Amino acid sequence: MNISIPLIVIIPLIAALFLNLFAGKNKIIKVLAFIVGLGLPILTLTTSYGLHYFGGHQPLALSNIANLSTYITNSSLYNLHPAITYAYTPIAKVFIFALGIVVFLSIFSYLNSENKASGPFLFMVFMATASVSALLLSDDLFNMYVFFEIAALIQTGIIIASSAKDNYETALKYMILSSIGGPILLLGITILLAICGSVNITDISLAISNLVHTPEASGVVLFAFSLIFFGWLYASGLPPFNVIKSLVYSKAEPYGSSVLQAMSLISLIAFIIAMFRIFGTLDIFKGVMIFISIASMILGVSMAAMQTDFRRMIAYLSVGELGFVGLGFGIGGNFAITAGLFQGLNEMIVTTLLFIGLGTVVYLTNTSDTRKLGGLIGKNTFMAIMILLGGLAMAGVPPFNGFRSKLMIVEAALNTGFPEIAVIIILISIATFFVFVKAFHSIFLKPQPRDLTFIRDSIPKSILFTVLVLLIICLILGLYPELVTNPISQSIGGLL
Amino acid sequence: MILLDTQLLTLFTAGALIVIGIFAAIYIDNIIKKIVGLSFIEEGVNLFIISLGYKSGGVIPILLPGMNIKWFANNSAYPLPQALVLTSIVIGASTLAVMLALSMVLYKKHGSLSASKILNHESDMGDEL
Repeated sequence: MNISIPLIVIIPLIAALFLNLFAGKNKIIKVLAFIVGLGLPILTLTTSYGLHYFGGHQPLALSNIANLSTYITNSSLYNLHPAITYAYTPIAKVFIFALGIVVFLSIFSYLNSENKASGPFLFMVFMATASVSALLLSDDLFNMYVFFEIAALIQTGIIIASSAKDNYETALKYMILSSIGGPILLLGITILLAICGSVNITDISLAISNLVHTPEASGVVLFAFSLIFFGWLYASGLPPFNVIKSLVYSKAEPYGSSVLQAMSLISLIAFIIAMFRIFGTLDIFKGVMIFISIASMILGVSMAAMQTDFRRMIAYLSVGELGFVGLGFGIGGNFAITAGLFQGLNEMIVTTLLFIGLGTVVYLTNTSDTRKLGGLIGKNTFMAIMILLGGLAMAGVPPFNGFRSKLMIVEAALNTGFPEIAVIIILISIATFFVFVKAFHSIFLKPQPRDLTFIRDSIPKSILFTVLVLLIICLILGLYPELVTNPISQSIGGLL
Repeated sequence: MILLDTQLLTLFTAGALIVIGIFAAIYIDNIIKKIVGLSFIEEGVNLFIISLGYKSGGVIPILLPGMNIKWFANNSAYPLPQALVLTSIVIGASTLAVMLALSMVLYKKHGSLSASKILNHESDMGDEL
């Protein structure tokens, strides 16, 4: 048993409680948030892979109890997981580390650009970190559901904490959808409990693999899949929830938006891995994944093209890019799934860069309407160039990370006999490039409108530093993708 | 047989609650009634979970002194659904509280509880951040 695995969830939870407790004491919460934010990625890196059984209740098969009767050793009880299990795998390590980097940089920018830090906002950021880390670590579907609901409440809180117009309306809309998505997910989990007698993913996948092709159970398994799939669509913001998800991103402050999109991405990955383990043998699994992923990509980029608000544009592009992760699982095989997950990681880094980088435009002008903006390249050329490079990374331009992951997905599609998917991916990437370049032109290159007023003169250096660090990460992952593809591939090999 | 029917009845009630809840969430305009409908969905799912743990003629899943273990294993209800539903109720209460709090704020802002008025009025955004 590895004691430090639960600390990845417990430390941000406790930090969140203390930040709320000390709300109002500016210096204390700034120092505490900085230390915990910096410590989380370090903890993630130093924790070794393994399993943690809560309460020490491991399966009987691992307990080395002598003289157990054959009545028990021959039954399914022998291998049953009696307690919540956390599994720290290479995939969990890569994504929780990346989440830690995103959270730390978001907090760093926030603390340095705001004179007075908000305890409740930092509380929500750390609760978000804890909840999505638990989603990735947990091998228990009900535990995942609990953290899924906590994540939904936190996302609502981050919207409420922002100063955007109509944020309360958006928060209520999101809560209403959450109150439909959550119970439907729970119903799917309950049906699996009824079939298998357990909510542990390992137990369920073992039981289901024998049941999927039996006529008596296949319909029920399919029904459970459809319910959990619906919950997954909601959690990750895939169609038909792409509109509300992008609305949510655009209503939060830039630091909040970057955390929100990281939450959605990790929820998507945690649930898609769980679904793959449980329902991967279903005949329709791959087809449904490919369909919803392509729909998400097309809707994302086409809706982004129609936006005049650049925050919504980035939000739509970000939600559309999530489709690449599903596509990897839809194509199937170690290489394709690794490519999809690598693209997910890249998207998390690049979207954070764009939300924080373009957040400086709002910081300077108090508007995100591209029709009212222009000529901002003269205000800070270095930031404008970094934002442009970030956008190119998202579109899949070499030598950035987005290029490597999209190329891997194209290769996987061609190798598995899906040339049409490869064509769609290339077209979507070209469309993303044009959408971003058009927005960049409107904000930075076109002549500055006469009525454009500036509420601030310069961008905080901390934000420049944050965006630079994120850009360097994009470049490193583009040049040395094996830093993350090797551990991801290693984990996927264990699942297949 | 009667007990089995009780379980079936519970499952049907759970199904009815979920269907009524979804109908209310989609078609009723008043936000408070919509939220009540959403609670119906939540409670329907909770009832469904409880009914799974039901065992006809069973006993509570607590091993008391003097009980025969084999008899207990064969006759006790399945305890896991009860544990799950407790957590689910707490989550439902939290979600409900947040939604009601948001409704109060929005009622003060708009002077109405009509979802079509409150949730669909959203402007073009982009400005007035």
